[in-house]
Amino acid sequence: MGKTVLIIDDSNTMRKIVNRSLRQAGLEFDSVLEAGDGQAALDILAAEKPDIILSDINMPNMDGLEFLKNKAADPSIKDIPVVMVTTEGGSEDMVEQSRQLGASGCVKKPFTPDQVNDVLGPLL
Amino acid sequence: MDFKEKIVEVTTEIFETMVMVDLTPGEPLAEHVSRFECSMSAIVGFAGFKQGNLAIHTPERVARGLTRDFLGMEVNEINEDVQDAMGELANMLAGSLKPFIASNGERVELSLPSVVHGKEYTLTVVNDADWVMIPFQVSHGDFLVGLELKKQS
Repeated sequence: MGKTVLIIDDSNTMRKIVNRSLRQAGLEFDSVLEAGDGQAALDILAAEKPDIILSDINMPNMDGLEFLKNKAADPSIKDIPVVMVTTEGGSEDMVEQSRQLGASGCVKKPFTPDQVNDVLGPLL
Repeated sequence: MDFKEKIVEVTTEIFETMVMVDLTPGEPLAEHVSRFECSMSAIVGFAGFKQGNLAIHTPERVARGLTRDFLGMEVNEINEDVQDAMGELANMLAGSLKPFIASNGERVELSLPSVVHGKEYTLTVVNDADWVMIPFQVSHGDFLVGLELKKQS
């Protein structure tokens, strides 16, 4: 059965960029799900169980940290690995908080295909 | 302002790794450019210990070409994709420069990117600022990366 990824970002363009970066890293997914914020992601996760989730931190409505809290509280999805996608120079506090809330890793833009592979590869 | 080499370094890294284009830096401009025609400017502000902004100024044609390379899709007009892509590039540039702007660990925060474009516009953002503007050449044409930091009293 093919693998599925869920990309969470409030920017439709950034979701395209992340998706393209996955392909450049040689990570081919049969299905790519997209959500514009944490709540939309939880709605998707009620019906779909992706193999991995990539999430922005700063988003309107429900941000990445709040999403991690909600995900951790749901036994049906709590074990799906989440990798946070941030920008170099962004808030280190929020990255650390995301780790404490269960994020499996973090990739910082700009990232090379090898860096994406190093973080996501072991989780798939 | 001695950020020329760092701007060239981070711009080259970001455009080569994320946009997958080769670029050639030019010499810093001798005069500040604030008036633009048929262009797009993506700007990220710095606040805190240092105040100022980082901006990418690009002709609309170059912005479309860079967005096409960045997203891997055809872009025929200035749309939300182009604005978001240029905003994201400015965000990455500002984030990569931040450790050098706050080199002693001072607190500096980044704003969300703002993007303006139009047939003719003028940007006057920071008064009493040190500045550097560096031109870069890519296959689509030329663009400018500018850094302005308010002089500290």
